[in-house]
Amino acid sequence: MTKLIQTLVDGLGVGSTYALLALGISLIFGVMHLVNFAHGELITVGAYTAYFFVLHGGSWWWMPVAIIAAAVLASVTMEFVAFRWVRNASPFTLLLTSFAIERLSHALWQIFVSPKQRAFPKPFWVFNQFKLGGVSIEVMDIVTIGVTVATLCLTAVVFKRTMFGISVRAAAEDFDAARLMGTRANRVISGAFAFAGLLAGVAACLILMRTPSADPSMGSDWLMKAVIAAVIGGLGSFTGAVVGGIALGLLETLTRAYLPEVATGWDKFSTAVVFIIIAIFFVVRPDGIFKVSHAERV
Amino acid sequence: MNHVLQRTLRSTLGSAILLSAVAAVAMLYTSGGGASRSSLVSEMLANFILVLGIQVFIGNTGVLSFGHMAFAQIASYATAVVAIPLALKAKSLPDIPFGLESVHFGPIGATIVAVIVTVTIGALLGVAVCRANGLAPTMITLALLFVVEQLVKNWKELTRGAGGLSGIPIIKGNGWLYLGAFIALVVAAFFQEMRIGRFSIATREDELAAPALGIRIFTSRYAAWVVSIALTALGGSLRAQSLGSVNPKQFTLDAGILILVMLVVGGMRTVSGAVLGTVLITAGNELFRQLGDPQQLDIERFPDLFLGVALLLAMLLRPEGLLASRDLMGWLRRKMYRPAVAASIAPTVGTRPLTATDVEVHFGGFVALDGAGLTVRPGEVVGLIGPNGAGKTTLFNVITGLVDETAGSVRLGDVDLSTENPVGVARAGLARTFQNLRLFPTLSVRENVALTSLVAARHRAHRVRPDVDLLLAEAGLTDWADREAGTLDYGNQRRLELIRAAALAPEFLLLDEPTSGMSDTESLAMVDSVRAVAALIGAGVLVIDHDLGFITRISDHIVVLNEGRVLAEGSPEQVRANPAVAEAYLGSQA
Repeated sequence: MTKLIQTLVDGLGVGSTYALLALGISLIFGVMHLVNFAHGELITVGAYTAYFFVLHGGSWWWMPVAIIAAAVLASVTMEFVAFRWVRNASPFTLLLTSFAIERLSHALWQIFVSPKQRAFPKPFWVFNQFKLGGVSIEVMDIVTIGVTVATLCLTAVVFKRTMFGISVRAAAEDFDAARLMGTRANRVISGAFAFAGLLAGVAACLILMRTPSADPSMGSDWLMKAVIAAVIGGLGSFTGAVVGGIALGLLETLTRAYLPEVATGWDKFSTAVVFIIIAIFFVVRPDGIFKVSHAERV
Repeated sequence: MNHVLQRTLRSTLGSAILLSAVAAVAMLYTSGGGASRSSLVSEMLANFILVLGIQVFIGNTGVLSFGHMAFAQIASYATAVVAIPLALKAKSLPDIPFGLESVHFGPIGATIVAVIVTVTIGALLGVAVCRANGLAPTMITLALLFVVEQLVKNWKELTRGAGGLSGIPIIKGNGWLYLGAFIALVVAAFFQEMRIGRFSIATREDELAAPALGIRIFTSRYAAWVVSIALTALGGSLRAQSLGSVNPKQFTLDAGILILVMLVVGGMRTVSGAVLGTVLITAGNELFRQLGDPQQLDIERFPDLFLGVALLLAMLLRPEGLLASRDLMGWLRRKMYRPAVAASIAPTVGTRPLTATDVEVHFGGFVALDGAGLTVRPGEVVGLIGPNGAGKTTLFNVITGLVDETAGSVRLGDVDLSTENPVGVARAGLARTFQNLRLFPTLSVRENVALTSLVAARHRAHRVRPDVDLLLAEAGLTDWADREAGTLDYGNQRRLELIRAAALAPEFLLLDEPTSGMSDTESLAMVDSVRAVAALIGAGVLVIDHDLGFITRISDHIVVLNEGRVLAEGSPEQVRANPAVAEAYLGSQA
């Protein structure tokens, strides 16, 4: 029982980070039908920002602000430099454009900083533990889950209550109609990228507090998981992104924790099993859990 | 038979020319000396086969796959475990399963084994990949890539894990790689000449129009998948044997993206594009590698920069690739094309009526059709009109199998079409056009029509097929036959869609607003075009339009829909005189 709760807490921790990233990917997909494979680079940007500030005596009390600001800036820049110019291109072109940015980002960090990993100190309290009914919980688990819940609430308020959020949702529904109603395409899209950057920045803070290091390709692994989570949830669906992220986090930790008991010798294949389950999921439910229907007139 | 010979000749000739060009460049480069130069050429040739492998699937079907590297990996490891000499194998893989410890093949045998094993696995997984739509196939292949990566890293008895396997007997010189590249070229080029390959290209161009013309998406996509996996396996196997070792690092997502960049920079739609892209990216990569500091271990960073810039520039400036649709094979095809002088043959006139009876369609709580029905007799032109929201397009979509009816039936003579999907409906003899034009935009005007003619030859052989060039002449498109369909002006695109449907030799043409967006004079001309084309193929016509003038001129019989029901029907005069129709259109006078 204790093990199960422990595993669930771990899964929620990883899963909520996936959820924040997946939400950004889903948001961008909603407004411009782009699966942004460069989204993970925002984590890298955040990591190098943190590294830079630590070198110059930064403290973890205010660094999250800098990390988030850097991610927002990078996200908006990305749109301005590349995606704006291919906005009406095919999804294929959009996808490859994001790959190009991912590649460029890797190369630039390698050339201008270093291909090697750069580590910096973490906040001292991260791995402090306390007992809660026989389960030992890390402070970071609580911080992660708390911050994620707060961010998701903020997201909900922004997209339900503010003019900006409503325009973005309208654009996701039907961009042409939204434009005719007076929504400004450039502003909505920049705004969506900024918000996705904010979400990625928060995710980056949570990741960096646990593993405070920066390397050029660190964003890619997180990105893959986030894309998978977003697609599992149903691209374009906000609820889906969150559910997909949490589900993927739980799936990973549960297979890792329980697979050896199912069949000894199988534990080393736990990651493979996760991906097999994912592949089967896409075969059975290609549109994700929360299917977003795009009516197409014929 | 003559055609098969011509196609084989064309693919072989084109491939020989392309490969000679590549070989000449390579020769010039290696003549500068150095073993490293020769090994760069080997690397390029192996990549060349892999690029052609993904071209066959991604280029022809337009479905992005990240999973091909997984199959290259399977092939490479399959090659390694059967080609490594037994004594060495006993040492490096002592616990090898499946009795492989005593299996040994020479280079040719190992290659064949690798291709067979990989294609078998690929053919099984391909069923799942090719059934899915939208982003799902891409995601499935991505998951497959990670599954295979994890299996290779962890199944140490078979693969020795992350360290990889070495000691594969190295094939000397580039002769085998040239042969492999030549085979890959001919296969990729020939696939585009085959019916199934052309069908898969049609599904890339428009996922809705292709089935509506009788092309089954799964079948053609699956064929492309299997051929593409076979070429990928060949590339993987030959690369393993030219390097002498395999390890998981050669098959990461990054490695796959390198191959993908080669394809899209040159132009994914054509074999020539794949060739150009491979040569350019290999050269650029090498150039930038030399910019890096050889003292550093991380010599990959400058090539990474080059790849990023090359891909970004390609996407921003030439998203279709450098060559786009330009192709040596296509050029040869045009040069060798000789239109058969077709005597106009009397068409088979249909004998069966098309009837829709008591059709009901509910979208959730909304009733779009509430017991509507109509009959089109052979050779007759029936117009379907009604105010917005009357259910015209829904009825049309029910007949063509795009929308499932809640109740009611659709029949062609005594054949029940109610449960058929669009492919079945098209093959049964109903060919449709679309309200918002769904041509195959990057294919030539002639190919648009010829594709449907191919479907007709296969599935509608009992009817006299209209000649492609005759149809082009009828629509006044002969002079534009080699242009890309998407570059025609609007009126010509409409006429092209009409004759594309006619090439199916259907019993009925179903036209969804053929004059939308046209001027009055163009509409008038369309009346003649539709009548002439229908007469040419002996088909009846069911046409929806808003334009009352057009409908009354073209129709023998008019059906008026309102609120999901038939409000009135009869000859154009009768309908015009009907007060209920005037009321529905103009509102009550009282």
